[in-house]
Amino acid sequence: MTLPDPGGGISARGVRRSFGPVHAVQGIDLDAPPGQVTALVGPNGAGKTTALLVLATLLTPDAGEVRVAGFDPVTQADQVRARMGWSPDVFGLYDTLTCQEYLEVMAAAYRLPIGVRTARAEQLLALARLPYPDAPVHTLSRGQKQRLGLARALVHDPAVLLLDEPASGLDPRSRVELRDLLRRLASEGRAVLVSSHILSDLEEVADRVVFVDHGRTVGQHEVGELPTARSARTYRLRAVDPAALQRALERVGVGWVAAGHAGIDVQVLGGEAAAARLLGELVAAEVAVTAFAPVGGSLEAAYLDLVEGQK
Amino acid sequence: MSGVLTVARLEFKLRIRAGRWRWLVGAWFVVLAVVTWLVRTAASQPNIVGESVERERTLGAVMFGVVVLVVLALALLVAPALAAQSVNGDRERGTLATLQVTRLRAGEIALGKLLASWGTALVFLAVTLPLALWCYQEGGLSVGRIAGVYLVTALLLGVVCSISLGLSAVLARSTTSGVLAYLTVFALAAGTAIAFGLVTASTQQTVSGSSRVCADATHCTETSYETTISRPDRTWWLLAPNPFVVLADSAPAGPVHGERLPNGQLVEVPADVDVLGSLSRELHRIRATPQRVEDQYGTAFAVPDGVTGGPVWPLGLGIDLALAAGALWLTTVRLRTPTHRLPRGQRVA
Repeated sequence: MTLPDPGGGISARGVRRSFGPVHAVQGIDLDAPPGQVTALVGPNGAGKTTALLVLATLLTPDAGEVRVAGFDPVTQADQVRARMGWSPDVFGLYDTLTCQEYLEVMAAAYRLPIGVRTARAEQLLALARLPYPDAPVHTLSRGQKQRLGLARALVHDPAVLLLDEPASGLDPRSRVELRDLLRRLASEGRAVLVSSHILSDLEEVADRVVFVDHGRTVGQHEVGELPTARSARTYRLRAVDPAALQRALERVGVGWVAAGHAGIDVQVLGGEAAAARLLGELVAAEVAVTAFAPVGGSLEAAYLDLVEGQK
Repeated sequence: MSGVLTVARLEFKLRIRAGRWRWLVGAWFVVLAVVTWLVRTAASQPNIVGESVERERTLGAVMFGVVVLVVLALALLVAPALAAQSVNGDRERGTLATLQVTRLRAGEIALGKLLASWGTALVFLAVTLPLALWCYQEGGLSVGRIAGVYLVTALLLGVVCSISLGLSAVLARSTTSGVLAYLTVFALAAGTAIAFGLVTASTQQTVSGSSRVCADATHCTETSYETTISRPDRTWWLLAPNPFVVLADSAPAGPVHGERLPNGQLVEVPADVDVLGSLSRELHRIRATPQRVEDQYGTAFAVPDGVTGGPVWPLGLGIDLALAAGALWLTTVRLRTPTHRLPRGQRVA
């Protein structure tokens, strides 16, 4: 077991961790190279948070080899901490501090020189779109707190960023901004590892995806090379004349699952080739199709495939 | 060191903003001022402290002795509350892990938390200084005695804060550690005295003595008998860690007054008026080993008049400081990451 790319980013091989009888992580391999956003995807209880805690120098793994920014989180925790930012899925803030004070305290905790702390805090508040530096933390909304937590993880300008469910509690606009921010952070050469359930967001931001289930890595893919879905996939169809579309579908023998204002959803078996064939048949039947698209992204399809496959 | 100050400043700021400190500290001062005034009024009564001249010379010392014991008693009730939820409370609120992933070392977090809670306790202590000055004004007190008593009280509060902090690091639930911190204070303040009393009573020694009855100068009959005596000189160490014992025994010399010996010589002896001094002399006496004393009425095992053992407080303060150091070390160990173990039922973050 050799660790590729010891110079930066994250690499983990064969990480295992149990809590008593509970085997939270039983074999996770993952690579998050610098300059890329890597998504960590898996169902609840798959071991994502535990894996991130190991990477974040908080838990010792029972077995396995880990490098974060080129250092071992167990034996070289301080070197890792100097280069790694972590934002957990659930965290507390010091309610009575103001946003500015909070970030300044964290800057001090990361041993930033005293002269730059105020400026760094102001910079991060602007980045996190928190316009009131003197607002006490307890007055912030859930989304604002989430953004303050992200700003905290960036205090020391880390080369590696570990984000556990950063999009939870964010409104749509903030999610789009988070996406842009993550892309920007990666383009600056950072390794960004994000765990999330909001797959549509991840698909647009992630370069790579690591699937985990039951504490194991079950697949690592470039997002562009996701395996095509083996199981049925839902496509949403619309036509100028919905009744004609329904008739045509019945004729070719494709049952529809749901019909509504948004369109008609059909289950397509046999991957993209089958979908293309169906579209061809509908066009040949002179149905004026205006929309023919899979519901959910390819990431979601691959994820559902994975979850189905485990059943 | 800067990491310690970062944590201490953060914790101190959070404490100040969390509660109604001004009211609490104000009420604290008012209660103690009333106590001081009552002690002064009581001690000024003619039948309490000797003659009027002596009363004037020692009134301040009498007041001070009672007031510092009350201050210590109340401070022992405040101190556990300041530290007993420090670590597990942060865990419950989810703020500990975000501090642990920074470059702060475990020892810095532990020491910073100790300094913050101890510092808060010292604010309560500092507020009572004007009352000590009042006692000083009344006479019979040296600045050294005041300084010594405050120094030891400050150390004892640090000990209680450190033990409470250690409990908060070891136990998962902040309510459990809170209760245990108070029980620990109770064990130190009352448990040691109870243990001393019970152990001394159950380890009595049988000794022989004799009594002599004389009909005249030449005809005496001596009868021997056996009796049991208690040996506090073997069990005094049980009492040593008691904070009140440490405080009273470590107080620098108290007021003295002149006393004329039977041979006409004038000596200065401790004025038996202040509670700290009396307690301290009593402690020295229980350390003394009983000896066989013989007089015209026979022989007996007893501590001869004027014989005393050494001071009790060095051992007591030593035990207390060792407990505090151990608790701080334990806190550091429990804060160290990456960690192998988790407190039962606890998530890291």
